[in-house]
Amino acid sequence: MKTTKPNLFPIYIIWYREILLYLRNHLKLFTSFFVPILILVFFGTGLKAFLPQNLLHYDFVQFFFPGILSLSCLVMVMSSTISVVWDKEFGFLKEILVAPIERWQIALGKILGATTTAVIEGALILFSAPYFGFPLSWVLYFEVLGIIFLFSYGVGGLGLFFASRISRMESFSILTQLIIAPLVFLSGALFPLNNAPLWMLNIARYNPLAYGIDALHWIFLKPIVSPSELNNLILFPFAKSLLVLIAFDFVISFLALRVFNRYLIK
Amino acid sequence: MTNPLNQNNSSEIISVEDLYKNFGPLKAVNHISFKVKKGEIFGFLGPNGAGKSTTINILCTLMKPTSGRVLIDGYDLVKQPQAVRHLIGLVFQEIILDSHLTAEENLYFHAMLYGMKQKDFILKKREVLTLCELWEKRKWKTSSFSGGMKRRLEIARALVHSPKILFLDEPTIGLDPQTRNKIWDYIFTVRKEKKMTVFLTTQYINEAEICDRIAIIDEGQIVALDSPENLKKMIGGEVIIFRTVDNDLAEKEFKKSFPEIPLKRVGGSFRIETNNGDEFLPALIKTITPRITSMELRKPTLEDVFLEITGRRIRESETEEKDHLINLDSILEFLNPFGPIFPQNNSAEEKNENNKT
Repeated sequence: MKTTKPNLFPIYIIWYREILLYLRNHLKLFTSFFVPILILVFFGTGLKAFLPQNLLHYDFVQFFFPGILSLSCLVMVMSSTISVVWDKEFGFLKEILVAPIERWQIALGKILGATTTAVIEGALILFSAPYFGFPLSWVLYFEVLGIIFLFSYGVGGLGLFFASRISRMESFSILTQLIIAPLVFLSGALFPLNNAPLWMLNIARYNPLAYGIDALHWIFLKPIVSPSELNNLILFPFAKSLLVLIAFDFVISFLALRVFNRYLIK
Repeated sequence: MTNPLNQNNSSEIISVEDLYKNFGPLKAVNHISFKVKKGEIFGFLGPNGAGKSTTINILCTLMKPTSGRVLIDGYDLVKQPQAVRHLIGLVFQEIILDSHLTAEENLYFHAMLYGMKQKDFILKKREVLTLCELWEKRKWKTSSFSGGMKRRLEIARALVHSPKILFLDEPTIGLDPQTRNKIWDYIFTVRKEKKMTVFLTTQYINEAEICDRIAIIDEGQIVALDSPENLKKMIGGEVIIFRTVDNDLAEKEFKKSFPEIPLKRVGGSFRIETNNGDEFLPALIKTITPRITSMELRKPTLEDVFLEITGRRIRESETEEKDHLINLDSILEFLNPFGPIFPQNNSAEEKNENNKT
C-alpha cells in the first residue's frame, strides 16, 4: 500500500495545509492584500511627489519598486517558515512528526507552501507596477514571478534552516536583527550597491539575497533604462544572478532539510 | 529487521528493554524495562518530571533513546520508525489542533498524512466522529470547541488510521472532573470496540486505578509494576492516619506499646499499615495520651503505594516553581558556526552498536 503512493503526495499534503492555513488565517490574508495597497497609495504617492525632479538620471521609484516587492515577499516567506519555531514550542509540529512520512517531505512541503504564499503576495503587488511607470506585460509578469519564486524559495530554506535550530521565540528577534537585517541592507533592495564602497560590495557578493534582487532589477529596468545606465544599477550579469539563485536554492534545500531532520528528533 | 514478516504472535505488543535517555547530565529515563500485553490498558503513574513524557515520546518515535531496545508489535523503534508510526495513534499532553480548520479538516489532514484512501477516510470519519459524539459539530472550526470537545476530537483523530496502540500522554490534564470522566468513557469504549492496546501516563491516582496494570515511575525508574489491586495488597489491608497535639510523645508511647508495628511520620501526621484496622483502632486510642486531633481509617490507595515506595507524595512536586530564567545558550545556539550542523556521530546509534556486540 505504501509503495503505490507516490513519494510526492505527503509533500503536497503539507503544502496544501500550509496554503489552507494561509487562506483561513484572515489576519495574514488581510496583510498580504494590505501591504500592496499600502505600497501603492502611501509609499508610491509619497515617493513620487518627493522625488520627481531628482538629480539622478533615472526615476528612483522605479529602482525602489523591485526592492520593495522582494522585501514584501521576504517578510511573507520568513513569517511562514519561522512559524516552525512556534509549532515546535506549542506542539503543532508533533502531530506531523509522528505521522509515517519522511522528514525531508515535511521540510520541502513547508518551504514550498511558504514560497507559494510569497508568490501570491508578489503577484498581487505586481498589479501596481503600471502605477510606478512600468509597462506591464504578461511576459514581464511571469518573468518576475519566476524570479520571485526562486528568491522566496531560497529565503524559505534559509528561514527553515534557522527555525529548525532555534528552540524558542526569544531567539527569533535576535535572528532577525543579527542575520536578516544585515542580509537585507546589503542586498541592494534599498539603495544601489554600485556606488557603495568596495568592502560593502565584497560582502554583498556573498549575500544570496543580492542576486535575487539584482535579477529583479534587471528585468524591471531593462525596458525603460538605457544599457549604459543599466550597467550602473546592476551588480551582476542576469545569467550569473539566475545561476547563483538556482544554486543557492539547491544548497539551502539540502542544508535546511538536513538540519530539520537532525534537530527535531532529540 | 528481526522479523521481516512481522509475525508477532506473542502476547506482548510493546517490549522495552534497558531503556536510557539522557539530556546532558540529566538522566530522564534511567534503565527502564517493561512489557505491555495486547489489549490491556497500561498506565504510567508518577509525579511531574518523573520521565513519563520522555518515555512516551520515545515510544512514539519523537525522541531517540540514548540506549536500549524497544519493539513495538515486533518492529524495532530505532530502525523502523516509519513502520511503528503506522501502528500508533497519539494524544498529546497539549491540545494540538489546527484551530483555523474545521473538525473534519483536522481529521482529513491526519488521514492524508497516514496515506489513507479518500473512500476509507469517509467511512472512518463518520465512525470516529460518532464514537466521540462530534458528528453534528464536524463543520465547526475547532477554535470554537471547549476543552473537552477538543480532547475528544484529538482522540477521534488518533483513531482515524486504525492504530493498534493508542498512546495518551496525560489525556485529562487541565479538564474539569466531569469532562475527565467522559473522556475516560470514550477511552473504555474504544478499547472495548477496537480491542486496542492503550498506553497512558497520568498523575491522577483515581485514573491509574482503572488501568489493567500500572508502572509507578519516579526519577526515571520504574519502582513498582503490577495491577492496582496487587500493588495495594503490598501495603496491607488498611491504612490508619492520625494527628496528635504532641507528636513526639505519641511516637514514644506508640513504640513502647506496639514495637512490632512500623510507624511512619509524614509531615505532621502518622501512618500505620495494618491488616485489622477496626480492631487496632481502639487499642491505639487507649495507648496514646496526647489529644488526637484527627484520625482516619481507610483502604490503601495508589497514593499510599507511591508514598510507601518513595517516601513522597505524587503531586507535591507540583508546587515547585518553574525556572523562567532565559537560557542564553539556547538563544545563541543558532549563531554557533561550528555547532552540530554536521555532528561527527550519533551517540545513540553508537551505544546501540556497542550494546549488541
